[in-house]
Amino acid sequence: MAILVRRSNLLAPITDTARVKQAWQSDADAITLDLEDGVVETRKAEARGLVKEAIALAGQGGAEVFVRVNAALLHADLEASMWPGLRGIMLPRVASAAEVAEAVEQMTALERRRGLAAGALELIVLLESARAVWDIRSIITANPRITQVGLDESDLACDLGITPLPEHDPYVYARGRLVIEATAAKVQPIGITYPLGVHPRRVSAAEIHRMATDARNLGLKGVLCPDPSWVAPVNAAFTPTAELVAHNKRVREVFAGAVAAGTAAVPLDGRMIDVPVDEWAKVVLAMADACDARDAQKHAPRAGS
Amino acid sequence: MAAHQVRRSGLTMPVVTRRFVDHAWRRGCDFINLDLEDSVPQHLKAHARGLIKDAIPVVRKGGAEAFTRINHDYVHADLEAIVWPGLSKVNYPKAESAEEIRLLDDVITRLERERGIRPGTVEIGANIETATGVAAAYDIALASPRVKEFGGGTGYDMSRDLGVEMFVGFEQFAYGKGELELAARALGLQVRAAPFVANTTGSVSDADRALREAQAARKCGFRLGGGLNPAVVEPQNRGFTPTAEEVEDARWVLERHRELAGTGDTWIVIDGRVIDRYEAARARDTLEWAALCTERDREKAEAVLRTRAAMAEPTPPTLA
Repeated sequence: MAILVRRSNLLAPITDTARVKQAWQSDADAITLDLEDGVVETRKAEARGLVKEAIALAGQGGAEVFVRVNAALLHADLEASMWPGLRGIMLPRVASAAEVAEAVEQMTALERRRGLAAGALELIVLLESARAVWDIRSIITANPRITQVGLDESDLACDLGITPLPEHDPYVYARGRLVIEATAAKVQPIGITYPLGVHPRRVSAAEIHRMATDARNLGLKGVLCPDPSWVAPVNAAFTPTAELVAHNKRVREVFAGAVAAGTAAVPLDGRMIDVPVDEWAKVVLAMADACDARDAQKHAPRAGS
Repeated sequence: MAAHQVRRSGLTMPVVTRRFVDHAWRRGCDFINLDLEDSVPQHLKAHARGLIKDAIPVVRKGGAEAFTRINHDYVHADLEAIVWPGLSKVNYPKAESAEEIRLLDDVITRLERERGIRPGTVEIGANIETATGVAAAYDIALASPRVKEFGGGTGYDMSRDLGVEMFVGFEQFAYGKGELELAARALGLQVRAAPFVANTTGSVSDADRALREAQAARKCGFRLGGGLNPAVVEPQNRGFTPTAEEVEDARWVLERHRELAGTGDTWIVIDGRVIDRYEAARARDTLEWAALCTERDREKAEAVLRTRAAMAEPTPPTLA
């Protein structure tokens, strides 16, 4: 099965013309044009008018393009967004399977009306309430269009009535539940470790890299990047390093040697190499290849421009 | 709480590696887990299956219980080959649904009947090693009365399922472990879990770490151990067993609590320490566990003596 490589997903408020124009040069795997929190209430209608052209702009560097719609303005936002070149819709504030069904129904109708391939557009859903975290299983299994799910940690804090302190992660349970339920449902969980998910600020690339690496090691598969400066360290954190690739090639060799010699348990540098270690090595190597392939897809158009 | 087995330490070993199996009885383990799964190469599965029946009495010579870890995908063939007198438990890897456990129960029930094993003898260990398993934890734990201890949610398979490196030095599996512990506690089962003690090297033979982890686990109310390398057996036995000071202290607490009887007080503070019925219950629990550990150690020592006598082994065994 093909591995979905969507390490970085850069948010670009659609009314921020400069940001939208430059987004394709950021090397993000995906770009999400934002109609929601990044756009002030008075400019929602104007923003909708910008989407069709922005999709083409954002996609010219090989990034997948998404639009984050307003839950309360779903119909108008979908009308404005579903054009060729769009990979999918990011649906915020989802609290029930019924809301997913409602969005899917409208998307299906628009696909038909506009001659887009039926069912081709994906959904990324964001959970922002205790109810949503509790009901995550029914939400993310509501429709096969859902490929990724994340927590919106700022809005979740609001719903919980908490003012999160940077030094105390209030989402250990919620994030753990996200990772387990999403993995079980074969949907990618996305996010970054605390506190960057709730206090996104200008931090060093090294710190972003460290927290994105921790996120990967919690089972998260990618990060919504509020700023282009996040993209490079996030991509790097979710790409197996050369060192990791070399180590796992060695694991595969040592394991194959052991099997030939009649055992599937063999020591290597103090660790025990057996079937699941070899299986994991396969995963890391396949992931490295998939990241390389994705990077090549993105670099080709930019090299030619 | 029902009296439970003392399973502080145990080694999982490929049944196809003869020298591991032959020496297992010398290791001081509370149990030996004969592996048909991940440590056995695919082309040796059938051969491995055929070795279990004879290996069971061999690994029990030192008083250890004998378990077998079967393959998720070969339930029928594996069970037919392994459910023999002397087997205490079947470990079933990557458990993901109650249905799987009920199937195991049915087959084991039939084999117990056919092979003259007292009904209900063979336990089922439902190993939770995937996100799907965690998501179905309660139903799995409830699926058979043969499931007497429950937990997991960590390890290589879980790491692979979540796509994470395993030895990163922070708690990656908190949610899954929590879900499994709650399910186990809600059903009155023993909890197979350990608090987080960082292991960034991935070493399976770190005696020091094994001791710290066992001690921390016991403080958290967990009593089940196990590992892959003989070097961790003794530290686990020691770490899971109350120390002499702890036993002494528990006796002292019970005495102080007894003295309260008839005074009209239900609790008292001595040197800043509260003595009440909760502390008394905890002390009683410690003494019961210490007695079980002592009893288990005696059983094992006697078994080793018997075996050595039978082998007419002149020198003490080397605990290499």
